[in-house]
Amino acid sequence: MSEGVIYDLGYHPHEGPRLGRAGAVRALYRDGLRRTLGLRRRARAKVAPWGLLAIAILPAVAFIGVAVFTRQMGVNEVEFFSHAQYFDLTGTIALLFIAAAAGELLVPDRTNGVLQVYASRPLTTGDYLLGRAAALLTVVFAFMELPHLVLFLGRAWVAEEGFGSYVAGNAAVLWQTTLACVVYFAALAPPAFLFAVFSKRPALAAGSFVGAMLVLSPATRALVTEAGLKPFGLFALQEHPAVIKDWIMGVAGRRWVPQRAGYDPWVSLVVVMVVALAAGYLVVRRYRRPV
Amino acid sequence: MPETIIVTRELGFSYGDIVALRDVTLDIPAGCVGLVGANGAGKTTLLRLLLGILRPAAGAVWALGHPVPAAALAVRSRVGYMPESACLPPDQTAADFVGYAAELAGLTPRAARQRASDVLGLVGLHEERFRPMGGFSTGMKQRAKLAQAIVHDPDLVLLDEPTAGLDPEGREEMLELIGRLEGFGINAVVSSHVLTDIERTCQWIVMLDGGGVLRSGPLTEISATDEVSVEVLGDPAPLAAALEAAGAAVEVQGRVVVVRAERADLYDLVRDALADTATAVRRLGPRRTTLEDIFLRGTGDLRKAKDLREAEDLRKTEDLRKTEDLRETEDLRGAEDV
Repeated sequence: MSEGVIYDLGYHPHEGPRLGRAGAVRALYRDGLRRTLGLRRRARAKVAPWGLLAIAILPAVAFIGVAVFTRQMGVNEVEFFSHAQYFDLTGTIALLFIAAAAGELLVPDRTNGVLQVYASRPLTTGDYLLGRAAALLTVVFAFMELPHLVLFLGRAWVAEEGFGSYVAGNAAVLWQTTLACVVYFAALAPPAFLFAVFSKRPALAAGSFVGAMLVLSPATRALVTEAGLKPFGLFALQEHPAVIKDWIMGVAGRRWVPQRAGYDPWVSLVVVMVVALAAGYLVVRRYRRPV
Repeated sequence: MPETIIVTRELGFSYGDIVALRDVTLDIPAGCVGLVGANGAGKTTLLRLLLGILRPAAGAVWALGHPVPAAALAVRSRVGYMPESACLPPDQTAADFVGYAAELAGLTPRAARQRASDVLGLVGLHEERFRPMGGFSTGMKQRAKLAQAIVHDPDLVLLDEPTAGLDPEGREEMLELIGRLEGFGINAVVSSHVLTDIERTCQWIVMLDGGGVLRSGPLTEISATDEVSVEVLGDPAPLAAALEAAGAAVEVQGRVVVVRAERADLYDLVRDALADTATAVRRLGPRRTTLEDIFLRGTGDLRKAKDLREAEDLRKTEDLRKTEDLRETEDLRGAEDV
């Protein structure tokens, strides 16, 4: 006869490690990644991020497909778009993505009262915002850099001089696109967070941020070119990262509003930094209020 | 004397001009502590001061031996908080959210998942743990809130109105869960304005009213009176008459005779009266009063004291005004003289 064993499935104290504040920030970061990408959420939460990612990558994949096809047909001189031009698409998609993600990261915590739970954990306001911003930076960086990486590798694959030679000769593109991605994040994420901390719905935050950005470009263009009011070139917030991106990638031309107003690229860099700091300050100030 | 988990000294806090807490001095022992008071008495403010969410305007507070808010992060890693208002994201499952709450308290992801599953089972949400919480009933939401508060095995849990919005059955289950916390090694501070809930679950009571401490002490001590209650079998009238004849104040409530007298040998007096009248006794002991009685009596005393204080302040103000009027008159006279 075998002896039975009774297992006590009642309450057991936790005897494992406690990671403290660092563990809490990492948890926030991981939750931010999941929330931004709609993971462990309903299917409709996944549509926007993954749909935008697909739209961003599609041109690069199409380019590679066409290049491979034309090479098989014996046509080697296929020139599509440069990395700098590709940023014009990925930058716009990044704007939409950051707008949606910033609202999703900050608004539900506030409207659902989850901030009360954060307030009872070993976290400061700065930790909370840092964890959220780090998650957004990671996803935005991956989101913007991945299409460029696909384009870069595709170009290398179909390059006449061979894969290795192309990579060796154009490796600078990788750090240039990396830096440009960080600039886009610094220019767009803080104002997006600012809209999110004053909105009651994620969609409202995203809509008002995108609307403001999209209105600013044509409005400032008209004020600068038609009315000659050049200082308004500083308010073309969506175009400053594009100016800096061209500066990093060595693209000449004066097609952006700040350039038409006569401002050098370093002015755009200063504007991006000032806007980021001001928006960051206002966001932190908003969260300083008692939960 | 049990270990002290919360200490406050002349603690004060105001929301602008509104005084939420003033001169709160407490030494709260381990166990289940009831924080009672009417709405606006300062219960939630006290809990938030304990967590370091609010900064004291005056005085000092220590929780689990740490000063707050100076060591708020150390306190928060060992404290759980169940807020009164909603704190659950409707699009997340209970398992995900409670696991996340454990990670936020510093548990590793693996341990957090395991504990979330265990604790959700403990609070009776095992079957529903993979459902989004937006579809939960009020009772299920309260249980999920309790689960996130204890998932990281805290030393102390602060429960703000844990039975709010629950039907009688849900209330019973929640009180039963709270009653089990001490057995898990978790001390609890239960804030409520439902005094019967506190009577059932807590051994130590802190009564707040108008931001001040009305009473603080063990429930047995607070609820005890200097009266003797005698429940008799048969007619209580002869016993009541005998006791009155001996000089005691007597109140008859059905078969219960409540005896009041300012003398040390009250029990001897009752015994003799029972023997003399040959009354059969079912129960004899000190009369215990309900928290509600104590609270109402206490708030009445406090209000009287407050009214007296306000009257005194008013008198002083009037005196001051009279003095100022007099001085102004004298100044005017002086000016005229010049």
